[in-house]
Amino acid sequence: MSAHSETPHGGGHLHPPTANQSSRVDAPTLGMLLFIASEVMLFGSFFTAYFFVRVNAGAEWPLEPFELPKFVAGVNTAILVTSSFTIHWALQSIKRGNRAGLQAGLVLTLALGVTFLLTQFREYSRVGFSPADGAFGTIFYGLTGLHGAHVFVGLTLLTFATIRAFRGHFTPAHHHGVEIPGIYWHFVDVMWIVVYATIYLL
Amino acid sequence: MAPGWLRAAWMTALFFGIGFGLVAGIRAFAGWDPAIDWEPIITVAALTMAPIGFLSGLGAFDYWLGWAFGAPTRPDDHSGHGARSWSDYFRINTDHKVIGIQYVTTTIVFFLVGGMLAMLVRAELARPEANFVDPQTYNELFTAHAALMIFLFVIPAFAGLANYVLPIMIGAPDMAFPRLNALSYWLLPIAGIMMLASFFFPGFGAGWTNYAPLAVEQPFGNVFFSMAVQWAGASSIATALNFLVTIITMRAPGMTFWRMPLLVWANFTTSLLVVIATPFIAGSQFFVMFDKVMHTNFFDFAEGGYPLGYQHIFWFYSHPAVYIMMLPGFGIASEVISAMSRKPIFGYRLMALSLMAILILGFSVWAHHMFVAGMAPWLRVPMMVTTLLIAVPTGIKVFSWLATTWEGRINFATPMLWAVGFVSMFVIGGLSGIFLGAVPIVIHTSDTYFVVAHIHYVLLGGSLFTIFAGIYYWFPKMTGRMYNETLGKVHFWLSFLAFNATFFPMHIIGVQGMPRRVYTYDPQFGNWNLFITISSFVLGASFIIFVYNMIVSWRSGKPAPSNPWRALTLEWQVSSPPPLFNFDEIPQVVGNPYEYGVPGARHAILSGERAPTGEAETVQR
Repeated sequence: MSAHSETPHGGGHLHPPTANQSSRVDAPTLGMLLFIASEVMLFGSFFTAYFFVRVNAGAEWPLEPFELPKFVAGVNTAILVTSSFTIHWALQSIKRGNRAGLQAGLVLTLALGVTFLLTQFREYSRVGFSPADGAFGTIFYGLTGLHGAHVFVGLTLLTFATIRAFRGHFTPAHHHGVEIPGIYWHFVDVMWIVVYATIYLL
Repeated sequence: MAPGWLRAAWMTALFFGIGFGLVAGIRAFAGWDPAIDWEPIITVAALTMAPIGFLSGLGAFDYWLGWAFGAPTRPDDHSGHGARSWSDYFRINTDHKVIGIQYVTTTIVFFLVGGMLAMLVRAELARPEANFVDPQTYNELFTAHAALMIFLFVIPAFAGLANYVLPIMIGAPDMAFPRLNALSYWLLPIAGIMMLASFFFPGFGAGWTNYAPLAVEQPFGNVFFSMAVQWAGASSIATALNFLVTIITMRAPGMTFWRMPLLVWANFTTSLLVVIATPFIAGSQFFVMFDKVMHTNFFDFAEGGYPLGYQHIFWFYSHPAVYIMMLPGFGIASEVISAMSRKPIFGYRLMALSLMAILILGFSVWAHHMFVAGMAPWLRVPMMVTTLLIAVPTGIKVFSWLATTWEGRINFATPMLWAVGFVSMFVIGGLSGIFLGAVPIVIHTSDTYFVVAHIHYVLLGGSLFTIFAGIYYWFPKMTGRMYNETLGKVHFWLSFLAFNATFFPMHIIGVQGMPRRVYTYDPQFGNWNLFITISSFVLGASFIIFVYNMIVSWRSGKPAPSNPWRALTLEWQVSSPPPLFNFDEIPQVVGNPYEYGVPGARHAILSGERAPTGEAETVQR
């Protein structure tokens, strides 16, 4: 087989021609939005299971004698919602060239996110039922666990952004590395509000 | 240490160890007995962590990890791009053309393995009491056959063909995310090996649909299937996302949506389906696996679970999945039929719009797989109506292909034979699909060989035939050599006849009541089954010709001109194989891609030097 690169014609083959940009949306942002669409559907499959268990099978909610810690989870919700504002602040800061604001915003967001996860683990250990306790326990741990995994992924992405922020990488013109994990973080946040409303409040 | 197979080996072992320690540690910490429980250990260490170690060892994450820990971005680094020797096909490669070939060859390997499993199934069914394998092994054989063919052949083979030609067709130098593209390929062998390894644990026999609660009662090999589906699913979501971003953001100037070749349209709609629907099969397999390994109660009725929910969630993916397995084939057929008939495609816009119509309707028909499953009766008629409605956009496509060939100067080269074979076989599959979409008939034919005949007419006569059309059509472009036309035709006719001899009789024994997925049957079906088994062995043998033709032609075939089919789409306007970055300069698109025989029509203007090839076939002007 003749190899692709043995015959350089025109000599312009060490670098690709610059691709035409045929959309106003840039590729990384669009990629993240499509990934989020896919993630929404993954949550959708878990919510479908929730719907079947609660509506079709008519499971007791919450299963006697267990109780859902609505208040603690409510405080946790407030913590996560606050973190959406801090990540927004970080992004606005770097857009204006304020590196200290970017770093502070990212660190605050990380701290709030970690607090949320730790509270969630604390809740798991105190709540008194396991995933094997009826379909109720299964769905509770399934949905909150899936969301927790997403918080973990979001925190990992934000940690990378934070490392780069402290190494002086972002500028008012180039801050995709903050903006795109930020979109994901907002998604994680909004998803939690839905999870909290359906699992705890409804 | 440099990325490669050595690092992959020890990192696989290392990550297995980490997973082992994680599970054993948590169990010891929580005081669960026994601390070393192999089922969760295999699930976490072998099926989750070890593949991540393997991918890290190969170097799939090197660039991203460097970025994550603050290394400067290297936008112009192309060190992992292109293939200079065969060994470049066995590493992380960011060239979409190399990835395309990696995809196609890997999927053909799994196709051959899956085909051999089918031979074993037919060997058992040759006589009513063949006792060639025991019943559970029989279940495992047909389950693995379907799982390999669907998740490791049809879906990724289309992704591979599109990976090769799609960026060139839209005038892009590569995919939007080349590293993600490389990663999505390497997820595939992991999924395939996992499915085959399941036979040793000791297998899964609940059918590829893996219905709960039967799946939960299967041997531990069932978890291998669940996890393999996750890896394969992650691969196809990543590829689909990549296609969508590439199509939306990287089209050449002038390449509007209404000038895109239909293969691009087909992959655009397919990718939308993949991104939206695939998470549902991920969910369904997570639920089954959790029920099995963690003893949760998603589908345990006694604990408040809802078993029928599995089927709803599963088919919400798996019905759109039949379009994921068919729409790219529609695209290939459109390319081949138009170029080989020397005529513009008939009804270009309706061809594209009917793809979108199938995409939308495809989400509203899933419960037609559950007419006899005991679901709510009021769902039956709406699902029947939407199912039959899909015949409308599909019919538009079939009639458009026929109208395209009308009064054309048809060149019956091998790709065209496969494409025409596809249209005729797909119509038969579509007609039996109308039978199966109608509630009164499906109550009689559900779970009989009629269903087996239908699925093989649409998936083998439909998808497989278009995959072969695509492989023969683009073989000259991919390898720079021509395949042997005589062998290609022999392959087609032998496959085509043996295929019909194998699957057509299944309609008859199906209507007469032979149930599917059972290792034995009533002696009255004996003669038909013996005939089917013999035909299926001929069908299997026909692929030996294909493999021989591909290998010999790739090594020593006649050098291919840049445009052997005199096609107008962009991939034929560059050399065979194309240069490293496809184009010296991004082409300017000025017209429609199918204006065959239209005086003065041009699809695109390629600036700069034309690729030097043996006999320069020029664009029709």
